[in-house]
Amino acid sequence: MIQVRDLTKHYSHHGRRVAALELVSLQIDEGTIFGIIGRSGAGKSTLIRCLNLLERPDSGEVRIGDDALTAYSERQLQQRRQRIGMVFQHFNLLRSRTVAANVRFPLELAGELDAAQMDARVDELLALVGLQDHQHKRPAQLSGGQKQRVGIARALANRPDVLLCDEATSALDPETTDSILALLADINRQLRLTIVLITHDMRVIRQLCDEVAVLDHGRVVEQGRVIDVLLQPQHAVTQSLLAETGLVQGALQGQWRERIGTPVLKLTFVGEPALQPVLDKVGREAGLRVNLLAGTLSEIKATPFGQLLAGVVASDVAVSALPDIFAREGVRCEVL
Amino acid sequence: MTDFDWNLLLSVDWPEIGAATLDTLTMLGVSLLATVALGLPLGVLLYVTAPGQLRARPRLYAVLSFLVNVLRSLPFVIVLIPLTLLLVGTSIGVAGAIVPLVVGAVPFFGRLVENVLREVDRGVIEASQAMGARLPQIVFKVLLPEALPGLIGAATVTGVALVGYTAMSGVIGGGGLGDLAVRYGYQRFQTEVMVVTVALLLVLVQLLQSAGDRLVRRCRFD
Repeated sequence: MIQVRDLTKHYSHHGRRVAALELVSLQIDEGTIFGIIGRSGAGKSTLIRCLNLLERPDSGEVRIGDDALTAYSERQLQQRRQRIGMVFQHFNLLRSRTVAANVRFPLELAGELDAAQMDARVDELLALVGLQDHQHKRPAQLSGGQKQRVGIARALANRPDVLLCDEATSALDPETTDSILALLADINRQLRLTIVLITHDMRVIRQLCDEVAVLDHGRVVEQGRVIDVLLQPQHAVTQSLLAETGLVQGALQGQWRERIGTPVLKLTFVGEPALQPVLDKVGREAGLRVNLLAGTLSEIKATPFGQLLAGVVASDVAVSALPDIFAREGVRCEVL
Repeated sequence: MTDFDWNLLLSVDWPEIGAATLDTLTMLGVSLLATVALGLPLGVLLYVTAPGQLRARPRLYAVLSFLVNVLRSLPFVIVLIPLTLLLVGTSIGVAGAIVPLVVGAVPFFGRLVENVLREVDRGVIEASQAMGARLPQIVFKVLLPEALPGLIGAATVTGVALVGYTAMSGVIGGGGLGDLAVRYGYQRFQTEVMVVTVALLLVLVQLLQSAGDRLVRRCRFD
């Protein structure tokens, strides 16, 4: 488990003190994939660098398992960092080394294995990320996705208990991003490895993460299970980040409401109900006439979900009774 | 040079030219090796102690940097003769020339090394820190290997500069081709000796530069 308590960090910028992090607290359970999202300048990059103390916070505490990293000396930190993997946006591979030698690098730093053991471990890791055929190439000969696979293999070499991903897919095209996200999900499952990632891309959160924290101006403004935060975003920043994903957000604009002229429902289906004809069933029971306005069907980390906006005229029940009726079918209903 | 009589080349004392060439090569070889041996650590020290770097020691850096600038701005042959007398006991000849050559070239090469190291991607250094690398590991496993093509380039530039220095050391009796050019070409008006020595120095610089370029090409990382 990773515990971050009251992390604060300031920079001085042209003589002014600027807060990069302000009393950030997080709790990340073992084996979860935890996403931190925010716009550029929100403090994500500082936050993830404070987790392995590449940057020293001004105050606050970082614990990984039983290790209070913020109380460690530089020497102790170097030792501990060998078991905290980190993956970077621009890969940061050694250009002078081959693929295999890059993966071997952290093993050489740790100095715990002999040459034959290191070779065996390198083969194992290259197989895990699917790069056995490229082991003698240099980074310059690889595509972006392949470079990131090397980066991931390297980060896993010393069997870390945490993997930190610093915008790991931001320099990749959408297809490659998907394959890297799938690889990370796979690693999380196979190794029960805790993954903490920062991103500005809500798709990464939606496809990969179990939990999410939204960072804005150095503060955590919203935090929770991805499915809750995505479907019921509370904070304006979260809502604006979600606007790019095509999910139905917030209330209907005033002019639409007048032109539609009936009450409008926002229905949220999570899991099995998303695949069932719930609206049809309730509609018949309650005598609804439905005017579909907008809708989406998608997945959050393999859980299907759907959202509908519908204008309704109810003949048999009061519109205010509808949320309870839908709730019985496992569907969240809000009257806008 | 239009009225230069090429037949004069026949009268040149070739064995003496050969011996002088060998002297120049000796001075160049020994001083280049010593310069790299001393300048590389100096460059690394400058790099790691600079403000904002891995072991920032702004005061130490300021002192080192100032010393480097002072040594680079002095006309080395003139200032260093007394020093050489002190160290080697002689300021004349091949052995006597090597110390001033090295003292003149080390700050130059050290500064080049510092600049080459600064070109190494910060991200790669950060990645090694994230993997728990200690400073010596970063220097020997990351900085120097990643900067190798640039370091070879810097050594080549320094070697070429040293060819110039060896020739100049001839003026103060340092031996080698420069010495020959001064004694015969300048003092005895034997222009042909001057021409031959200059041509040989030119060839030497060319060879050095193309050897350096070839090495850089061979160890580039793509």
